[in-house]
Amino acid sequence: MFLIDTLNTLILVTGVLLLLGIASSKFSARIGVPVLVLFLAVGMLAGSEGLGGLDFDNFGLAYTVGTLSLALILFDGGLRTPASSIRVSWKPSFVLATVGVLITSLITGAAAAWILELSWLEGLLLGSIVGSTDAAAVFATLRYGGVSLSERLSATLEIESGANDPMAIFLTIGCIEVLSNYTEAGVTVLNSEAVLALLNLFAMQMVVGAAAGLAIGKAAVWTINRVNLDAAGLYPVLATALGFLSFGAAASVGGSGFLAVYLTGIVIGNSRIVFQRGIFLFHDAAAWFGQIIMFIVLGLLSYPSRLFAVAGQGLLVAAVLVFVARPVTVAMTLFAFRFSWRELVFISWVGLKGAVPITLATFPLMYEIEGARELFDVVFFVVVVSAVVQGWTMPFMARWLHVDVPSEPPPPVTLEISSLRHVDGDIVDYTVDQESRAVDRLVRELALPEGVVIAMITRHDQIIPPHGNTRIEAGDHVVVVLRPDTRPLVNKVFARGNEETSELPVQLEFPLRASITVSEMEDLYGIPLKAPAKATLDEYLRSQLPGDQLRVGAAVVCRPIVLYVRGINSRGLIERVGMVILASEELPPEEEPLRDVPTDNAESAR
Amino acid sequence: MKFSDFINVESIRAQLNASDKESVIREMVGALAEAGQVQSSDHEGIIKAIMKREELGSTGIGRGVAVPHTKHPSVDHLVGTVAVSPAGVDFNSLDGEKVQLFFLLVSPPDRPGDHLRALENISRQLRDGMFCKFLKQSKSAEEIRQLLDEADANQFSS
Repeated sequence: MFLIDTLNTLILVTGVLLLLGIASSKFSARIGVPVLVLFLAVGMLAGSEGLGGLDFDNFGLAYTVGTLSLALILFDGGLRTPASSIRVSWKPSFVLATVGVLITSLITGAAAAWILELSWLEGLLLGSIVGSTDAAAVFATLRYGGVSLSERLSATLEIESGANDPMAIFLTIGCIEVLSNYTEAGVTVLNSEAVLALLNLFAMQMVVGAAAGLAIGKAAVWTINRVNLDAAGLYPVLATALGFLSFGAAASVGGSGFLAVYLTGIVIGNSRIVFQRGIFLFHDAAAWFGQIIMFIVLGLLSYPSRLFAVAGQGLLVAAVLVFVARPVTVAMTLFAFRFSWRELVFISWVGLKGAVPITLATFPLMYEIEGARELFDVVFFVVVVSAVVQGWTMPFMARWLHVDVPSEPPPPVTLEISSLRHVDGDIVDYTVDQESRAVDRLVRELALPEGVVIAMITRHDQIIPPHGNTRIEAGDHVVVVLRPDTRPLVNKVFARGNEETSELPVQLEFPLRASITVSEMEDLYGIPLKAPAKATLDEYLRSQLPGDQLRVGAAVVCRPIVLYVRGINSRGLIERVGMVILASEELPPEEEPLRDVPTDNAESAR
Repeated sequence: MKFSDFINVESIRAQLNASDKESVIREMVGALAEAGQVQSSDHEGIIKAIMKREELGSTGIGRGVAVPHTKHPSVDHLVGTVAVSPAGVDFNSLDGEKVQLFFLLVSPPDRPGDHLRALENISRQLRDGMFCKFLKQSKSAEEIRQLLDEADANQFSS
């Protein structure tokens, strides 16, 4: 019966800890502490030196839990990273995730060696362990920190954190390898063979991790869309399975599982897949589960008393990391990427450490490197300081540095297509604001294209069934069922802030008096008009437009500009002209004579 | 041509004080002079030239946007800046509306092509209503710079 009792206790404890974790997340929003700090705190409180008195110091298990959770968190993070984010930020992210980690590790390592009176190599080992930013911490802080950042900024930080584990693992393993080959005489046995092996390790981590991640991602999309499962609940499980497969397959042949699972998530998340909402929701939950479990376990693993013992040195190392190593790294790697200094300061500040350093810190313990326990404590201390100080202050920093952007209010209700087959349709939720073109219009007045239907309107707490004579009000959420190809048109119907486009010409034009002379035009814009220098635009345009074509809106193309007649007086003289500059790719063929472009601001002849 | 090719970042102003056409131009040319983009001694000449161009037809092109510009021998390459007036300024615009968003360009007399390409770039980018709106709502030079960067990046990817 003893085994069953233990198991029951374990389940009870897990339940209680999860509940405490969830309860602390409620708390988080109110006092602004990042959730992961609270999860850590719950773990520490429940631990052997806290109120809970749970004795847990199984590094192996902690490492397992940490890795599994991180895989889930990275997979979810990948699912929710749009391709546009990657396009704008993969370059700075990549540099930060490779060279950046190396620079941070070197600086922190040198400082740690001095502060902790370690050898250079041991210092570097510590530097490598804390060199990478942590995906779990960065995702949690950026996505639930209550601040919206520009896409490029948040994507740079997120993708960096998702992609820098191979480098950190490479450096850590490298240091451990060299340290364990230390000979008695203090001479390192590091021959060219070992160096090659190390470089090979890094290349394998990166290349195999990336290749496996992308390939399995593609295969996963194919599988999910063609498998035709009968039970909806199996789809998210299928996705998880494919994520784990990606991690495992990459890791088993020497690649980085973290990188692989992240990339697989990105590929799946950016494809049209069956039962997408269900899959996303499930992995959102899985990532939360992973975060709570991981940080609570890490909290359990720490002994506050031991942390106190290394507090002084830990603080110094953390200070070097936060105030010297990370800023120097960011400045050295990102100077070419045209970030503003405010953004650079912010990126420096969000060098959050989390579970990865702690799991990496268990490596030396497993390899039984001398002083590994102390190293672990220092790393743990640094991580806690980073998570608490940087994570906590991130929203304030964002506001102080003005890098935050206004966020859109979330829709009050959502509908989704839950189909187990591929359906050629989308449900899109439009928020109608004061400036939307749809405001104050009846449903039947909206120029909705064929194949588009408004399924529901929500106004405050009410659901309004849409009829032709339902009036759309500002603040409404209009849920539209549409075919994907009609989406741009429907977007236009509900577009916010674009209302001007319907009132003004698509092209912006410069108004000119028709009394300007041809030579002035040439002088100002370098456009040679085929007319005498003294001629006015009025004379020139009338010479180009035969009598029946002389009307408001008539156009004469004089590459690279088009001149539009915008006002004709009662005597038939042109008074006002509009000049539009053609984009290079829009230049019409040389001999296009005339073109009418209706514009709302063109007054009729008077 | 991209914004980054001709917009001088240091002279972007998010909070113009000016309340009439000439003082807007004065403030923006002043910003360019401060950033060393134009000689202080040419300051007045450039303002005059821009005002002269305005007489040929306001560069207030509607939607709360104006693009005052001129050619002037004091520059050897195209220089430009952006400014936002939260309150808006009467600029004799096409649509009679007050102008919140200003692009000011000064180009050398011998580079007519660049001048037109810059104007073309501005008018093409401003077709994006959101871009235009966000620019007008910008509270800091930094925000403006970011928006311009994003517009440049989109252009690059498309």
